[in-house]
Amino acid sequence: MNWVLKRTGQSVFTVWAVATISFGLIRLMPGGAEDIIVARIHESQGSDVPAEVIREQVQHRINIDPNAPIHEAYLQYMGGLVRGDFGHSVYLNRDVATILAEALPWTIFLMAISTLLTFGLALSLGAMMAYKEGTRFDISQTGVAILTTSIPYYVAAVLFIAYLGNRTSIFPARGRYPAVVEPGFTIQFIVGSFHHAILPAASFVLTVYGLTALAMRGNSIQILGEDYVRVARLRGLSDRRIALRYVGRNAVLPMYTSLLISIGFMFGGSIILEELFQYPGIGYYMYQAIEYQDMPLMMGTFLVITVAVVIALFVGDATYSKLDPRIKSGDDSESY
Amino acid sequence: MSTYERSQHDRALYETADPVIELRDAEVVFEMDRGVSRVLDNVTLDIQRNEVLGIVGESGSGKSMLASAMLDAVVDPGVLSGQVTYHPADGHPVDVLELSERELLKHRWEDISMVFQGAMSSFNPTMEVGEHFEETIEAHDYDIGAGMDRARELLEDLYLDPDRVLPSYPHELSGGMKQRALIALSLVLEPDVLVMDEPTAALDLLMQRSILSLLESLKEKYDLTLIFITHDLPLVAELADRLAVMYAFELVEIGATEEILRRGSHPYTRSLLNATPNLDAPLEEMRPIEGAAPDPVDVPSGCSYHPRCPLADDECVASDPAFQAVSDEHSVACYHWQDAPDAIPFNVEVEVAEDCPQTDKEGECLPDERTADSSEPEPQQAENRAETDGGDQ
Repeated sequence: MNWVLKRTGQSVFTVWAVATISFGLIRLMPGGAEDIIVARIHESQGSDVPAEVIREQVQHRINIDPNAPIHEAYLQYMGGLVRGDFGHSVYLNRDVATILAEALPWTIFLMAISTLLTFGLALSLGAMMAYKEGTRFDISQTGVAILTTSIPYYVAAVLFIAYLGNRTSIFPARGRYPAVVEPGFTIQFIVGSFHHAILPAASFVLTVYGLTALAMRGNSIQILGEDYVRVARLRGLSDRRIALRYVGRNAVLPMYTSLLISIGFMFGGSIILEELFQYPGIGYYMYQAIEYQDMPLMMGTFLVITVAVVIALFVGDATYSKLDPRIKSGDDSESY
Repeated sequence: MSTYERSQHDRALYETADPVIELRDAEVVFEMDRGVSRVLDNVTLDIQRNEVLGIVGESGSGKSMLASAMLDAVVDPGVLSGQVTYHPADGHPVDVLELSERELLKHRWEDISMVFQGAMSSFNPTMEVGEHFEETIEAHDYDIGAGMDRARELLEDLYLDPDRVLPSYPHELSGGMKQRALIALSLVLEPDVLVMDEPTAALDLLMQRSILSLLESLKEKYDLTLIFITHDLPLVAELADRLAVMYAFELVEIGATEEILRRGSHPYTRSLLNATPNLDAPLEEMRPIEGAAPDPVDVPSGCSYHPRCPLADDECVASDPAFQAVSDEHSVACYHWQDAPDAIPFNVEVEVAEDCPQTDKEGECLPDERTADSSEPEPQQAENRAETDGGDQ
């Protein structure tokens, strides 16, 4: 219990620290949303309204006062955060909290598909390669894994969009669900959502699985050489049980941490990926926010990613001992 | 050995009266880039039912390969050839190398099982000890209830608390506990034969002793045949009825423990005994064996020991000596075994009172060693044994 409190405290501190640092960094960026908005309103409404009036209106609407000294602005923003107020997006003219709440499920959906597919593919392939170590299958798959890993996911995404999305239209190249379908728990909507998620997920899975598969292969080869596997064979256990309970179970232990770390990596990757696929998730909005220097939205998306990674690692720490009995969580000191 | 028939003339030297395992020309080869590595070279050996056979030799002399060969469990890509025959207590002899994969899986652990070098790593670290027992019993279609009762009994025989050990993970047990749990696991399907490959290597001296005495009582209780492989000659000498000495992937000498220790006849055996550390022996008396163990790809011609042997002559280089009988219970593969005691005198004279009452040797049990020596056939006093554990009185 003590451990949970300590670990929660650490997590909260991490989130706070990230929020503070990103707040400072964003403030250091030249220009600001205000200038952009003011300029834009100027353009659309003509120049008969004095710039000062517009500027005041804008300042009133957004949660951040760019003229306030940094510590005041900081306190103001953090105070809002504590109340659950992420501020107001200047560019989109909506509450950031609303935007995030609407975008987050889609990003999680996409990331979950990608992560599950990546690890499902990588673990089974890695184990198969280990069992067939040195065969043509192993060598060719190793080559393929290295090749695909060296392709950046956004290059794969562009290729998919060009060939599978635009030229042949097998898969939709943009959007989260078919435009003609109303969101809701209908078959069309769910199937449509998956259909739209295939290309973005594939760009991730196919360029990321390789490293994990090679790591799994290495782990499995090592486990296959362990004494306990040999003894298990002599004891007459079935190959299936040895593969799952002995080799798989022990080879997968080091992969668990990398699975959780990859969640952070995937959120980071989603910025470019969702922009490429025009998939309005967290990454898409972050890209927009950066483009328009929309500070509240930027901060909001930053924080979502931070919180997601912190939660993933928290869960990882808390559950690792269930996976590997040699690791103690909780009050016991960790015995690495 | 009391179980021996005295008249061995009608039998070949390697045969015993009631063998449980017969090895004939057992050979293990590994194909390697630089040549064929022969890590077990035509070993022919009988294992007498209910005996304790100690197999000794230095590291890399093929001891573990011999153990694996008995279960046809040589690791890939090693190839085992020759003949391995298992004689069940009742029923027909089984040609182990001819068994199907399925029969072999059944044969192992049900008829003959093995305790590996490195008990520390013989349990799956992510599985409770009890589950190892359960899965073994299930894999062999034994009754799980009766099997687990037996497992508990075995653990208790080994002074382990089943309620504590079975639900533990391997890392929660000490080395000695793991080792004993492993012995229990190897006996859970009631095998006739238990092969132990360096079972005490990672344990401290006290734990080695106590495991040894536990093994002795287990052997009595469950009618086991034990094959005990070790480089620790003094240790196995306490337990073994017979000793077999390996050098360079072959057997060089085999005989009753007492015989080997008192009248070891192969120059290698004698040097090995002289090289064994001993509290009673002055340090300057300890003799390392000069030279190095041969490479399995390139074993010397003739007698493989000839480059290191003080008695070697042209005959030894030219041809490999066959086994010759030293006595009824003792044979040796050396042309010059009769000269060995003179050439390589033992450097220690130690009492083995403990073992004496159990042997039926000619007059060797006299408490006074001088008297014992005078009754020996050989003229000089070299045959005292290098029984060395220093604490066996």
